[in-house]
Amino acid sequence: MPWLFLLAWWVLALVGAAAVYAGWNRSGLSLRLAVRNATPAAGSPADELPDHVLRRGPVPAPVFEGDGFGIEIALGAARGERGPVWAAGQIANKDVSAGTGLVPKAGWSRVKVFRAARRGPVSASGWRIHTSDPLGFFGGVRRAADSEIALILPRFASLAARRQTRELEASVAAPRAGSGNELFGIREYRPGDSLRRIHWRSSARHGELVVREYEPPGVQTLGIFVDPNPVTTEIADQVARIAASEAWDCLRDGGRVVIWGPGLEPTQSPRDLWGLLEWLARYPSQAPTNGEASPPASGEVVMVTSSANPALIEAVDEARRRGTRVRGWVIGDAELDIDAPMERVGTAWPV
Amino acid sequence: MAGLRRWFRLPASPIEHSVEGRAFVFSGFAVAVLAIVIYGQDYVVPLLGVVAAGCGHVVSYRERNRKRTFWRQAFLAALVFGALFYVIADSSLALFGGVLPQANFAILLVAITSFDLKTRRNCYSSLWISLALLYLAAVYAWDYAFGIIAALWTLCLAGFWLASHLRRINAQVRGPARAIVVMVVGALVAGGVSFIAVPQPSGVPISPLVISLPNFTAFRGDIESPALPLVQLAGDPSGATSSVDLHYRGRLGDAPVMYVRTGAPAYWRGLVFDTYRDGAWTASQHGYRELPPYVPPRLLPAAPPDNLGTFVQTVRVLRPLPGVINAAYPVESLYAPVAALREDAYGTFHTPDQLKPGQTYSVVSYLPNLTPAVLRGADPMDQEHLDAYPDHYDVYADPDPVSMRARDLASEVARGAANEYDQVMALTTYLQRNYRYTLNLPPVPAGKDPVDWFLFDVKTGYCEQFATAEALMLRSLGIPARLVTGYATGDYDPVLNQAIVREHDAHAWVEVWFPGHGWVPVDPTPGVSPLAATRFPNHWAGGGIARLLPHLTIGAPAAALGSLGALAVVPVAIAIAVAVVLAYAWLRRRTWKPRHKMQPGESDLLRLYERVQRRFSRRRAPPETPLEYQHAMQSQLLGDVTQAVNEGVYAGRWPDAKRVRELTERIS
Repeated sequence: MPWLFLLAWWVLALVGAAAVYAGWNRSGLSLRLAVRNATPAAGSPADELPDHVLRRGPVPAPVFEGDGFGIEIALGAARGERGPVWAAGQIANKDVSAGTGLVPKAGWSRVKVFRAARRGPVSASGWRIHTSDPLGFFGGVRRAADSEIALILPRFASLAARRQTRELEASVAAPRAGSGNELFGIREYRPGDSLRRIHWRSSARHGELVVREYEPPGVQTLGIFVDPNPVTTEIADQVARIAASEAWDCLRDGGRVVIWGPGLEPTQSPRDLWGLLEWLARYPSQAPTNGEASPPASGEVVMVTSSANPALIEAVDEARRRGTRVRGWVIGDAELDIDAPMERVGTAWPV
Repeated sequence: MAGLRRWFRLPASPIEHSVEGRAFVFSGFAVAVLAIVIYGQDYVVPLLGVVAAGCGHVVSYRERNRKRTFWRQAFLAALVFGALFYVIADSSLALFGGVLPQANFAILLVAITSFDLKTRRNCYSSLWISLALLYLAAVYAWDYAFGIIAALWTLCLAGFWLASHLRRINAQVRGPARAIVVMVVGALVAGGVSFIAVPQPSGVPISPLVISLPNFTAFRGDIESPALPLVQLAGDPSGATSSVDLHYRGRLGDAPVMYVRTGAPAYWRGLVFDTYRDGAWTASQHGYRELPPYVPPRLLPAAPPDNLGTFVQTVRVLRPLPGVINAAYPVESLYAPVAALREDAYGTFHTPDQLKPGQTYSVVSYLPNLTPAVLRGADPMDQEHLDAYPDHYDVYADPDPVSMRARDLASEVARGAANEYDQVMALTTYLQRNYRYTLNLPPVPAGKDPVDWFLFDVKTGYCEQFATAEALMLRSLGIPARLVTGYATGDYDPVLNQAIVREHDAHAWVEVWFPGHGWVPVDPTPGVSPLAATRFPNHWAGGGIARLLPHLTIGAPAAALGSLGALAVVPVAIAIAVAVVLAYAWLRRRTWKPRHKMQPGESDLLRLYERVQRRFSRRRAPPETPLEYQHAMQSQLLGDVTQAVNEGVYAGRWPDAKRVRELTERIS
């Protein structure tokens, strides 16, 4: 029966052509994973932060815990269009895959949405670029390097409205922002600002009036001492949230913030909210210090802990002995022998 | 037992979510049904089947995620049994007209099961049934246009693979159009070229592969020695004739009478006549033996001593024909879907009724290898052959019917021939050279002997005249000969391995008895080879194409190569090789790494390093680093070579050829 031979030859030739196609299809492909957008959840700091602060944040948008966010899985074809191609791997320990029959020369992307992000780095691991012929007979696999594609920041909220905090702060003379001598930076012009403070070069660059801002006199540095070994992830999250909230209140009032924990490298940029949040996002998994780093000097110390860590207690005592004002947050039922005002909270947020 | 059940249990098949894939499955079925409509000329059930299958696909797709219910499954099973009843009733009793019951059953099966296509495996099942439909249509397809249908079905299969695969990776059905078109067109072209160029092994399609409506008519009465349509005389119930009368001949048209799918173009032998009286041939032997529809080799005579093996013919009858199995002889085995067969005394097979249009049968025949040298060696006086000569064969040597003038002519022509073969060839070539073939012959004048009138008066005639004159003149020389009727090869297509036999291919020739070789066909008709009754079997389609160009010398060698049955393993070997390569590629695909490409100087330097080591009394031990080895050996040359090797291995800076040459010169 010659027709059966013809059919057999065609099928065989299709399989052979598919093998050649599969070899051609696996060249020139690349994979890129990145955060594409964020969907703030109710009560997310992203809704509260002013635009000028958000503009300095992570690109394209900061993602706070509880927010939704989209990860763009982008495939590039440097040598012209390819397909079928699909990529599969893990993002935040979840299996994710995306595929297409055609990767144009300009590239192809697909956004995968994640909801209710948890604080911490979002890693992409075990990603592979799979290719095949259109019929699916022959496949090729290429491994992509593991990477960190996003950092989920801790949630925070202003704690200034809390009565006890306000009482504590009442003893501190609130300096007027922008009235010191040391150059603090620039900010947008607000009605009432002196015309002499306008920074004309920056105004021309930004297209709007920008004024110099000077550090207020007598501003103090807030030291936030955190528990280096939180027992559970929920406690660590709460420590990070309270620390971030304290930092935010301080920075908003023109202060500086240093966050430290025994055995942990202290933060480096006292006025950079995003640097502090990034530190707290990784808390408590930061690289340990080489040797015993001494607690940073500060005008006020806020301790956030869930346990009576001896090194932490000692650092707080030392600060008290130096005359630094000390207060604290205790998460849970830990008994601390410190002569300082303490507020006891649980792991629920807001506190 | 549980382990056994696990062993036989099929792995779960995923639900087929691809609507495009399902569309391709339906299209494949529609293409197969189209083939049945065109080539099987069956319309009602195919059209109903396509409509039902379309509805079924829609239902299946919509309900693909629902669980199967018992009652629906039971209903579909009942419908399948109904279709089974249909095929049995139509096959045996022709209750529904008896048109392609097997194909209609397959169509109904697809239509019914299309309401339950949930998984990918279900879709594959539907595709494979449509492939069976395509095969059924191919049995009746005798032109190249069927290639278009086969290509369409192949594209549907590829489309299903494509859509299903893309759905599996959650992708839309799209891709690099140009690359895919190149791939598909390239595959179709490569497949077509391979089909033409690579030998096709000749299989033996016995009963299960022959698609034909069984004919359960039984024999009534004796065989009447019917002839094929050369002469119309009183016939038996099968509509055949009983003798060949040379006084006149009916007109033969161009209409096809049968298709023969075969690897070897041959003469399709029908009836044999041994008695010539008053211008008419009849058969003297009326004995027969009953045979089953499938006649195995053990029921037939042993293979002739000189043969090149066997080849297969599948015949499809197009017009009503007498109940005679036309086939190349000698026959090794045959299958005809009839209630019974009879073999007459001349080795011809008969069916009880007329062969109706659509009837098919398969015959496996020996391919004779009768060369002039072989036939010249036949010794008629050999005692063994004399003993084996049947007594009733004396009728073949009866010289009475021929006139003295014809006898004298035969003696004159055969004078000087040293043996029987030369005598036969002398007469054959004499007739071919000195007499003209024509179909426009006036009736034989009254009172004239047709043979004498042909030989000495008009000197023109048609095949019966040539064959009769040859047979009778041979008999006058003492050589047994008889008249054979049947069909010439017809229009043979070497690519499709098939011949279209038309009415005007009806033919008559002579069978001559050669001691030790039996009856050998000889054709005295001008324009044909005297011994060319059966040619080389054409396993090589390409060889067949070459033979279409007779002025090219490549034709004969290619055809001769094709006669070697062992070469039929070539396509199998190619298929196995491709499968092995694909399997190897599949096994290695996960660990595939590009081969390390040696840089210039790398191989030379490493060879030099080996040479340097051989010069010392001790080679570098496996745990020893090159530097440790160098320090142990304390050699300046070794130090330089080691440094070059380390730079190459660890820094990727392999020395150029000049530097390696310098080091090599130092060692020498």
